[in-house]
Parts: sequence; structure tokens; C-alpha cells
Amino acid sequence: MVALVGLCLMTCLLEPAAAQAPPLASAQETLDVGDEPGRISTEEAVIRDGPYARQVVFFRSSEPPGTLVVHTSERFVYLVQGNNRALRYGIGVGRKGFQWSGLVRVSRKAEWPDWRPPPEMLARQPYLPRFMAGGPGNPMGARALYLGSTVFRIHGTNQPETIGHAISSGCFRLANGDVIDLYARVPLGTKVVVRHDASL
Amino acid sequence: MLSRYALSGAVMALAVGGCVSTSDETPAVGTAAIAPAAFERERLIGRWGVASFHDEKDRRRTEAEARAQCGQAYAISKGPTDGVMMHVADDPKRYELRLKGDAAGRTYLGFEAPPGHPQDREILSSTDNLVTMRFVNPDANWRYGTFVYVRCRA
Repeated sequence: MVALVGLCLMTCLLEPAAAQAPPLASAQETLDVGDEPGRISTEEAVIRDGPYARQVVFFRSSEPPGTLVVHTSERFVYLVQGNNRALRYGIGVGRKGFQWSGLVRVSRKAEWPDWRPPPEMLARQPYLPRFMAGGPGNPMGARALYLGSTVFRIHGTNQPETIGHAISSGCFRLANGDVIDLYARVPLGTKVVVRHDASL
Repeated sequence: MLSRYALSGAVMALAVGGCVSTSDETPAVGTAAIAPAAFERERLIGRWGVASFHDEKDRRRTEAEARAQCGQAYAISKGPTDGVMMHVADDPKRYELRLKGDAAGRTYLGFEAPPGHPQDREILSSTDNLVTMRFVNPDANWRYGTFVYVRCRA
């Protein structure tokens, strides 16, 4: 169901859907930062300005209201509202080689989730704990929506400046205030469509 | 590398001195006398599951999580002299770190510097199978929390 997109597709910048205002190309470049465990971001952190600010937008879709549609190439997640409208949030996405597409459902929800750094991160930062209990300094941020049986999640972040960039290992991150807002609107079982539109 | 860290430690000490009002809890760097540590380095040698927490309510389950991390255990080995080979915060290189005591009976692990140096870890508790530590540097402690080391079976 969930297909990892080939690395060859990852090397291309992607064209946003015509109906949506594209973020600046420079903002779509991969951000060369690692997770910063322990860095504090408050629950109040939201994206207030620019295309990544939470906002209602025109969104033509055949998906029923309540569906989450993730456009990794645009760096947006849409919560379908009906009547060609959606509530749009800016997201950070997987870096090259870690982007994917598929159809899943929200299988679990968690407040202040725990964090386990992935093996490649432990290789770079061997001084990290292998597990960090959830809290304000945790890279998983304030909330997490677990996607089906995959290792991927929609979660918060203690690095809100990474929204709009490709730095993750395939998860989708929102500013803490935004993920708290989304978390409250999305029940278990919600359909999640992850789209990754590659361009040549 | 060590000199770079000694320098950063000195800068950090100035920052700590100027910004944090916990000087009664942390010995002033450069003045604290080194006393024998409460235990020998052999207690630290081995493979450990490592986890951390920020909130005391998470201590018990963090211990359980540390125990579950033995599949990717952290190895502490003997150093070339009388210390152990470990990492300090935010540096992927291993260094020989030594156990140090202070006059108040606290035990630290770090470079050859007075106990309570900003690059030290303070060992909060220890048995042969469970050790808890925290970084002395308030920023590193704030970011990483209290570390729990649970010894892994061979």
C-alpha cells in the first residue's frame, strides 16, 4: 500500500498543484539540520505568516470531508472540509530518499509522544539516549498521529523553523500549536492520502 | 580537540556564572577540590541500555525503556589510563573520562578538571546494574534530561 518513491524521483524539485499557491522554491530545498532533542518549543508555537500558516483554502478533491490529504511536494497537509474547501497546514517532510506516498488511516493518537532516534541518527550522534520520554524537549513535539502500521507519523516538532523543508525520515511535522489544532480535529480511523507528485 | 573543549568549558562556565542562580549547588569551576569517587570505574564498564526523561513521573518507564534498548547498547570501555571511554554532550568522538568526587560527596564523570566542570556528568545514583546521570551544563541537562543506564546482559 505504502510505496517508497524511488531515489531518482527525489532528486527533482516537484511542481505544486496548479490550484494552490506554491511556496517559494528556495523554501523547498532540503534543510541541512538534524533533530535537536531537548530543544524546547512551546505548545503555542504556530506558523503565523506566509503560505505555511494554517488557513482555509480552495481545494478541489473527490475525498470526503474529514480526509487528510498530504502533498509532500507542496509541503502541505489538507483537512478536507467539503464545498471545495480545506483547512491547510504547512508541514516539514521527508528528505530525499525518505519520501513516500500511499493510503493509510490514523491508527493511534498520542499526546507528547516518546521519541526513539533512528539508527542513522544514533550513528551520527552516538551520545543520544536510545529513548527519550515525551515532553517539551522531545523532537516528536506535542502530538502524534500514527499512520496505519507504518513507521511514519504526523507529529509536532521542537524546530518550527523546519516547516516547509525536507529534513525528516519520512514523517510529517507541524509546529506544535498547529499539530495540537489538527489533532483535535482528526479522530482515529481518519483516512490519510499521501501524495508525492514528482516532476521531471 | 581537548583544548577546544577546555576552552568551550571555560566560556560555558562564564555563562553559567552570569546567568544561573544555582551557584550554591554547583561548585565553582577551578576551585573545587577533587576527592576520591564513591566507586571504581569497573562499575561503569560494559554494555548499557540508555534512555532519558525530563519529568520524574517518567522515571520508572524510562528505566524499562532503557532495559529494552540493549539491542542497540551503549558500550563503555576502559580508557588507556584510569578512566572510561565515553562521549560528552554534542560531540560524536569518544574521550577518556574520569570519575571524580567532591567535598560534598557527589560523584562526577568528565575530563581532568575540578569536579562539577560544565562538561562533566553528575552521577546521581549507581548500582552495578543501574546508573543515573545528568550533564552539569544546564543547557545540556535541559535538553537531554536525566539519563538512565541499565546494564545489558552479555
